[in-house]
Amino acid sequence: MSYLDPLRLHFAGQFQANVSTVNNDPGHFDNATFLQHYQKRQGPRMRPPNGWFNPEGDAAFRLLGCTVTSAWLPARAVDSSDAVLECIVADSDSAVAAKLVDLDSEQQLVSEIWGLEVRIADANGNTLMAGNYKPAAFMDIWDRATGGGNGDVGAGSAYHSVLSDLRWADNLASPFLQQLKTASEATGMLSIKFNIDGFNMDFSSPDFMVGRVVGSIGPQHPGAPQHLIIGRQFMAVAAAHGNFFTPQGGINFFPALIDTKQSSIYLDLGNALSTTAPGEALNNLGDLTLSAGATSLGTIAATGSDGYASDAAWYRQTAGVVALALSAAQCKAAKRTPLTLTGNTGIEIAEWPNGAFVRADTYVYRASPGDAVEVAVYATQFGERLSGSAVAFSFDSGQLQPTPDEHPYVQAGPPVAAPTSAVQFAEEVTTDAHGIATLVLTLSDPGTPRWFNTGTDYGIDGQVYGIRPTFKDASMNAGPENQWNFISLLLWSGFNVPDPVTWNDIQPIMQQYANLYPAMLRFLNMADEDSVRTHAGIMKLAFGLPVSDPNSMPVTRDLSPAKRAAMLEWLDNPVKSTVSTPRPKRPVAAAQQADSGVPPAAPQGGKAAAAARRLIVQKR
Amino acid sequence: MIRVQRSLTAGLTGPRAAPKTAVLQALQWAVELEHATIAPYLYGLYSLDRSKNTMIAAIIESVVVEEMLHMTLASNVLNALGGSPVIDKPDFIPTYPGPLPGCVQSGLTVHLAPFSMEQLETFLQIEEPQRPLDFKTAAAVDDEMTIGEFYTAISQAIGALGDGAFVAPPSNQVGPDLMGGSVVVTDVASAQQAIQIIIDQGEGTATSPLEVEGQGYAHYYRFMQIKKGHMLVPIPNGGPNPEDKYTYAGAPVVLDKSGVYAVATDPGPYAPGTVHAFANDNFNYTYTNLLRVLHALFNGEANQAQFNTAIGLMMSLKGQAKAMMAGIPDPGALTGPTFQYQPVNPSV
Repeated sequence: MSYLDPLRLHFAGQFQANVSTVNNDPGHFDNATFLQHYQKRQGPRMRPPNGWFNPEGDAAFRLLGCTVTSAWLPARAVDSSDAVLECIVADSDSAVAAKLVDLDSEQQLVSEIWGLEVRIADANGNTLMAGNYKPAAFMDIWDRATGGGNGDVGAGSAYHSVLSDLRWADNLASPFLQQLKTASEATGMLSIKFNIDGFNMDFSSPDFMVGRVVGSIGPQHPGAPQHLIIGRQFMAVAAAHGNFFTPQGGINFFPALIDTKQSSIYLDLGNALSTTAPGEALNNLGDLTLSAGATSLGTIAATGSDGYASDAAWYRQTAGVVALALSAAQCKAAKRTPLTLTGNTGIEIAEWPNGAFVRADTYVYRASPGDAVEVAVYATQFGERLSGSAVAFSFDSGQLQPTPDEHPYVQAGPPVAAPTSAVQFAEEVTTDAHGIATLVLTLSDPGTPRWFNTGTDYGIDGQVYGIRPTFKDASMNAGPENQWNFISLLLWSGFNVPDPVTWNDIQPIMQQYANLYPAMLRFLNMADEDSVRTHAGIMKLAFGLPVSDPNSMPVTRDLSPAKRAAMLEWLDNPVKSTVSTPRPKRPVAAAQQADSGVPPAAPQGGKAAAAARRLIVQKR
Repeated sequence: MIRVQRSLTAGLTGPRAAPKTAVLQALQWAVELEHATIAPYLYGLYSLDRSKNTMIAAIIESVVVEEMLHMTLASNVLNALGGSPVIDKPDFIPTYPGPLPGCVQSGLTVHLAPFSMEQLETFLQIEEPQRPLDFKTAAAVDDEMTIGEFYTAISQAIGALGDGAFVAPPSNQVGPDLMGGSVVVTDVASAQQAIQIIIDQGEGTATSPLEVEGQGYAHYYRFMQIKKGHMLVPIPNGGPNPEDKYTYAGAPVVLDKSGVYAVATDPGPYAPGTVHAFANDNFNYTYTNLLRVLHALFNGEANQAQFNTAIGLMMSLKGQAKAMMAGIPDPGALTGPTFQYQPVNPSV
């Protein structure tokens, strides 16, 4: 059980994700061709190629003005007098803002939140509960708004994770919070899920880099995965058009959970229902009927006093979570029969006919050569854990995003997912009694396959890979695949820390950060040896913090432990280099510098651009 | 010279030894005063395009860092005497424009303002010694005193209390392992040493612009370099008087007005839903977080992790302030931070 629990609260407000965008173009990692204007905000249609829409971003992720909109005890809403209804959901009141972090410039579609503390507080900000958000990546990004903005602006997505190391205030006045506290004691964790959409990309707007967030918090139960619901998985069919993902049946992937004790089914439609415009009202898809075969399990009204489309407050108050009471007969009918949700003509989504599902709980990893990474992969069928089932694993780089040699990219991006020899794993793993297949990745040095200029100029560290789980028995893969359901791995290059470490050893690393993150210039010039030496104290502090700390640098979390060690060693003893021999600049293709011509309009935003250059799209 | 209300030292002076509570109250006020100088200095500092006003920015920054040290030293003395600095409260922050905490209402009004030669006059007045070494004299008014005199009164009162007034073992000290230049206060001698550092760094010694502690000149003389247009340098083989030993004849220090962002003087209040309100809310929320972290740091959490968290918040404030004052992301919308207590971050 999880946030999708009889005991849960919902909240709504805004988030800020002030990501920086110079690193949106993998070609900008090439120090030898980097030009100053790559740090400038984009002009019309990205001409000339430049720093995209927010080059000065500082990666801050904030919760803004989020309030508790409803709360539920098993089987009923809390009393209107429950103090939880006056609470806010906020980020830390005693640390810097969390950071939103891409895995890699060539895998930008699993951005993780790092260093987030989530608090439930009274209206004055006094903390009643605080917990640490376990870094997690978004899932199921799709083209959510049907009007009024495309690309990142029109996108929706969801984050599902846990809060750990919970700190509760003494003497909780709210009966709901008392129950939530008790329910969390078995694991010491809460489950949290939130849906984001309506991202604003107009730099002159107060909402710039801000969007809507609605979410849910409930207890995390023992043995439950942390980023996944063991439940009924509604699987969308991809339409041929769209940017991120457009479901043919108009409803995006979502989970549901049958609670036989409560005789209810809980559906999480928070990231499944489209909107009229970015961050606006839900579209009227008609009354949504849930069925198990011929048996109707209930209807979610589109209109009326609390219709999801007619009631402007519905989405804020429910976060899209719907509970439908089931009779014993309905429970029985639903148990082993694929569920479908249908609305107006053409609006439809269903479980696979065999009700099967397989997915990694955590699906984003960073690792060094020599590491052995264990990935817990869950197999389920009709919401039950599936033991003894063979799960197959294979490389799938189709969703990774190397750049083509065309506008707006400054050069063809480095190849992804090679060499495969650096990532070894079993082709098949059988699930245990808990329905878990533990995939072990054995990792060796990939070399430097993403350096530029045929491998002679410093480039992107390591390599990025995709690995997709499926059922070994092909007949078990009985329905539409979720393209986002795969494991992303950033494997760093081997790096021997020189002795002694000189500035020349770390200069390319520092130069790259200076190029890609102009916001750092507010503190120091990372490309300048003297500037770094002057600020060695603060640099040591920031680079020495655990990566889970919101102050940890680099905020991108893309520095390998080996290179971090080298940098810290130099900062400890920043001996001045005698001879500095920066690599000569290489010319950039004239066509990429041209400031004329009108390129075709493209979907707005870094994620949209990344989605458009996925290998699977490039190959179409 | 800013003038302090003599009433603040009412319990400290006189024929009888000062009661401890009066000393604790005075030290709480000292913590608030030291903190109150930081916002106007930072506002001036971050209004500068550092690439165009490198030296002026470096001068202001060097002073701000020492004001933070002074806040630490005053807190250490307060803790050593069994008190508890109260930092995480709305009225810990003064209202700008207004007098500094405890200072006479008819005296200096401190504004949050972008750096200018006029604002420099405010900085100079905050830091002006009782007797600057150009022999400028100040009119003595019976019910007013200088900051230096005030600290001297505290120092004397502590001497009268004696070592027995200090808690053992030392309580909640932020030592030099965390804050460079800090002093662990355990007795009269170390308390008076800590207070003397505050006086000397702010005003200089009676006979020299040099601090006793540290390498730099006292704050007043650092700022005077900007006013005089040149760095202060020693005169080799200078005469016997302090004034003959130093001269404002070093490297030029010239304000490049094109390198000052055109942010408002006395910023805000900003209308909700504006670019300005959004940036300012985030700033103030971070600022309030910093006060909360400092409160914990000075009240028992004097450890490296807590100190690192405070440093991180200061860096975040720096980054945010520099961006909002420089018109990032929108060059058409410059925002001056208002430095207000804000425990909840609202929606846009």
